[in-house]
Amino acid sequence: MPTEANGIKNAADLARLIEAVAATRDREAFAALFDYFAPRIKSVLMRSNTPPAAAEELAQEAMLTVWSKAAQFDRTRAGAPAWIFTIARNLRIDAVRREQRAKVLDLESTEFLEPPQQPDDELDAGEREQRVRRAISALPDDQLKVMRLSFFEGKAHGDIALELQLPLGTVKSRIRLAMNRLRDLLGDLT
Amino acid sequence: MSRHHPKNTTLADFAAGMLDEGRSLVVASHLAMCGHCRTFVAALEEAGGQLLTEVAPVAMASDAAARALRVLDSEANAPRAGERKNAAMPVWQPERNTLLDYELGPWRQVAPGLHHRVVKVPPGGGTRVFMLKAAPGMKIPEHTHTGTELTCVLSGAFIHEGGRFGPGDCDDADDLDGHTPLIDGDEACICLVAMQGELKLSGLLGRLMQPFVRI
Ligand SMILES: [Zn+2]
Repeated sequence: MPTEANGIKNAADLARLIEAVAATRDREAFAALFDYFAPRIKSVLMRSNTPPAAAEELAQEAMLTVWSKAAQFDRTRAGAPAWIFTIARNLRIDAVRREQRAKVLDLESTEFLEPPQQPDDELDAGEREQRVRRAISALPDDQLKVMRLSFFEGKAHGDIALELQLPLGTVKSRIRLAMNRLRDLLGDLT
Repeated sequence: MSRHHPKNTTLADFAAGMLDEGRSLVVASHLAMCGHCRTFVAALEEAGGQLLTEVAPVAMASDAAARALRVLDSEANAPRAGERKNAAMPVWQPERNTLLDYELGPWRQVAPGLHHRVVKVPPGGGTRVFMLKAAPGMKIPEHTHTGTELTCVLSGAFIHEGGRFGPGDCDDADDLDGHTPLIDGDEACICLVAMQGELKLSGLLGRLMQPFVRI
């Protein structure tokens, strides 16, 4: 992660900012998070064909949700970027389903039948981040490309096939290979 | 511990927020009972977060941050309107009429030993969601489907060509699979099913059931 304005160098810096918002309602920390994440959330939404104005609004909404839910952030459970990724994702689902008065399933709030696995003390957040980073970079380029378009940008398989000028079956099998490989590499990650 | 999991691509679609609501509900029910898949979904979310840090930013309006701070001023620290209320709950308990916050219709007998109940998920994506309760020793009518079918066992167990499916196990079938599940053990088997496309049933039981599953 390149160094940003505000001295943000890594996910731990971002985690500290969220924790400052939670602990003291720190507005400077919030502004730093806003400057870092809002333009990236807007970018992802526009890549998944959300019109710019709507992407701007959803990015705003996501950051206001970061403010109101900051106390729920737990760096032992999720990295700061992952936590904000799920907030933006849930807002996008909400927006898509809004007419249907639909719900977003919030697993964090669900009391599980089987108790959640305890975070492994030996594997801290930084180590988990490194393992996921290594797993992604271990994917062959052609698999990483379709995985980015499908999983991250939310593009339909048919659209990816058009964009990359590949047969639909090739797109589907590359996504399947990429996800099976990630499962092999990350399935036992706690 | 579950032994049968949704496909990795199904879990990825869930983590990306691309699964329709009915299938999301079935996956969430499995995740509630499967730490392995929760771990994988969390890793995928971590991956999503990392991709988010790497994406080229698109500038927000010049006053965007100031506008957000003004909203925070006007709301002070009060909970934001429209924020979802988080309720703690297990996936499903027999005496309850809800499943992960979704309302359930009444049980209706559709054939001797076979009950069906609608899960009230808003229509969308052409997916129907329902629960099936089959008596011990019962054979579910042989069926195939034109779309995908995602099943999570809530209690009891069934056996079919793919193995034995107990509580928490997920059967992530595509349109090529044909099944004749047999209820295993001496307990009724209750499943949560999200089905796309048309179900094609055969046999007498199938013809009895058909009007009920085509909701
Ligand atoms: Zn699983």
